[in-house]
Amino acid sequence: MATADGTGRSVGDRIAEHRAELDTQRVVLYAVLVGLVGFYLSPLWAGLTTAFKSQAGFINTSPLEPPTPAWFTVEPWELAFATLQGGLVNSVMFVVPATILSALFGSFAAYGLTKLSWRGQVGILVIFLAGVFLPYQSVLVPLRQFWSIVDLAGLLAFAPVLANRADLLELTITHTAYGIPICTILFRSYYKTLGDEMIEAAKIDGANAFGIYKRIVLPLSLPMFAVTLIYQFTQVWNDLLFALVLVTSRSNYVVTQSLNELQGSMAQEYNIQMAGAFIAALPTIIIYIVFGRQFAKGITGAS
Amino acid sequence: MAELTLGNVTKRFDDVVAVDDVSIEIDDGEFLVLVGPSGCGKSTTLRMIAGLETISDGRIAIDGDVVNDAPAQQRDIAMVFQSYALYPHMTVRENMRFGLEESTTLEKAEMDSRVEDAAETLEIDDLLERKPGELSGGQQQRVALGRAIVRDPAVFLMDEPLSNLDAKLRSGMRTELQRLQEELGVTTVYVTHDQTEAMTMSDRIAILDGGELQQVATPLECYHRPTNRFVAGFIGEPSMNFFDVSLEDGRLVDSDIEFEYPLSSVVRDSVGETTELVLGIRPEDVELLDARETAHDFPVVVDVVEPMGNENNLLVRFPDTDTESTFNVIVDGMCHVEAGKRYVIRIPESAIHVFDRETGAALHNREIEDETELLASRV
Repeated sequence: MATADGTGRSVGDRIAEHRAELDTQRVVLYAVLVGLVGFYLSPLWAGLTTAFKSQAGFINTSPLEPPTPAWFTVEPWELAFATLQGGLVNSVMFVVPATILSALFGSFAAYGLTKLSWRGQVGILVIFLAGVFLPYQSVLVPLRQFWSIVDLAGLLAFAPVLANRADLLELTITHTAYGIPICTILFRSYYKTLGDEMIEAAKIDGANAFGIYKRIVLPLSLPMFAVTLIYQFTQVWNDLLFALVLVTSRSNYVVTQSLNELQGSMAQEYNIQMAGAFIAALPTIIIYIVFGRQFAKGITGAS
Repeated sequence: MAELTLGNVTKRFDDVVAVDDVSIEIDDGEFLVLVGPSGCGKSTTLRMIAGLETISDGRIAIDGDVVNDAPAQQRDIAMVFQSYALYPHMTVRENMRFGLEESTTLEKAEMDSRVEDAAETLEIDDLLERKPGELSGGQQQRVALGRAIVRDPAVFLMDEPLSNLDAKLRSGMRTELQRLQEELGVTTVYVTHDQTEAMTMSDRIAILDGGELQQVATPLECYHRPTNRFVAGFIGEPSMNFFDVSLEDGRLVDSDIEFEYPLSSVVRDSVGETTELVLGIRPEDVELLDARETAHDFPVVVDVVEPMGNENNLLVRFPDTDTESTFNVIVDGMCHVEAGKRYVIRIPESAIHVFDRETGAALHNREIEDETELLASRV
């Protein structure tokens, strides 16, 4: 090959040199990336291996080692599921309505605050904003007192089925109310990007405020619904604080409370606790998978 | 189809008066273009007619019924927006049917046939099942028009509907819109800042400036008989040339450049007692000569020649003035003109306009043969 410059090196040599440089860079990059993956996945991995080991296996092997056939068992999953079963059902019963309601009311409120014109909007918006920053701990006592005064179980005494579940209803209402501000803010930022001319066109086409919401705004906010549903579901599902304060009867224990029950008083059975943690986390993962595509759209603002 | 009346309509935003005491009578089936520079209140006026803005003062009536307090939903109007404002999650068919579903109780089949008729008229019948995102700008424009037509409203409102199209498409759509409006015979109010659209499309033009109505007249009347200096300058491209002059002994004089323009008694009479004046002449009315012949001829220097093919657009100035004070002259495309050379121009007295410098009011407009015929006609 002919030399292309004064140094006497051929083009081929220089390409090879360049490639070597590039390769070193890449190798370092991938090494770092693999290291990070390992770092983040190791607790999950340890949890997963532990959940498939017997108590003896857990004591005799390192948590990161996979279970050998001798120590392998699915018993921890069966035991954990047996304890969590009731909590899972109770959680689904209050988390689903609380999530949907707070997203829906948040969407209503945001629509009213962006696309309808009336006096005093700013004042209302400020109250919503303040709601986002209200710490859970600060409302615990007033919240307990409020529900004692309301006495939901007493009010529902005519229908024993509901009265027995009063704790869960209280949780539903509390979480809905607590979720509305953040949902409103999320929807509001999204609705501000929706064209005003489109809303005006619908008005001139004869649609009233509710018609515009139902036929124009609601269908266009599906990506934002995915965002709020995932966010709210995870928040409400993982909450333990409100449940501790509001749920009194054992039959109404939610999943986070049941998970807490797995903690033995004498011996720590880590394998059962790990299996329980995975079971309790499963629904939030399913929600991510189901709404993931819409979620990505909502976050990037594409529609 | 209906008459539309604006009576002393005023819109105030806090302290700012956006539309000031505007009165226009729009006949049944008329195509009225509201035109003016940006911020002149033309869009606000349209939005008040639509019911998207409240009216601070005055009244708006459709077919004699005052609609001041009627919400947009009840005004029996349709509007085409500059951004088209299509519903992105609906197909073209659903977009066009939306208005019928919300404002009428028609049978489903009847709605569909109306949508299909309108789509055929606009040649978008093959796009009915597509969504707006899959359409080109011109096609979206047609869908927006279709959405308005399907409703068969009393009044069409259009807010700069062509400004998002490229130049070629725009001139085609201009003709088509005009044809469509004539066919449908629906009273139309069309807002634009483009004076070409105003001239070519309208039955009458309403010119707004600073929220005030300047003139309502046929396009040629606005062109040849402007009521004031603003209208004279706004209508016409390139715009009319203006010279600040004073009246001395029956002549228009600009002492700085030794400009003297004798006036005949007819013009002098219409000017009256006012002495501080503005002389106006359209570029195409100026004639280019080789030598001075009359008192209305003046020596000039040609600064720039812009050949357009059919005509030459000249930037000229009087000798001994700076390049800031050039004015426009349009001469025939076959006429050879060299930049930098001296020529003589004639400002024919029959074509001059004279304005009051202080108020801007037109004191004298050009002479026209067959005046009534010309001014009543549509281009």
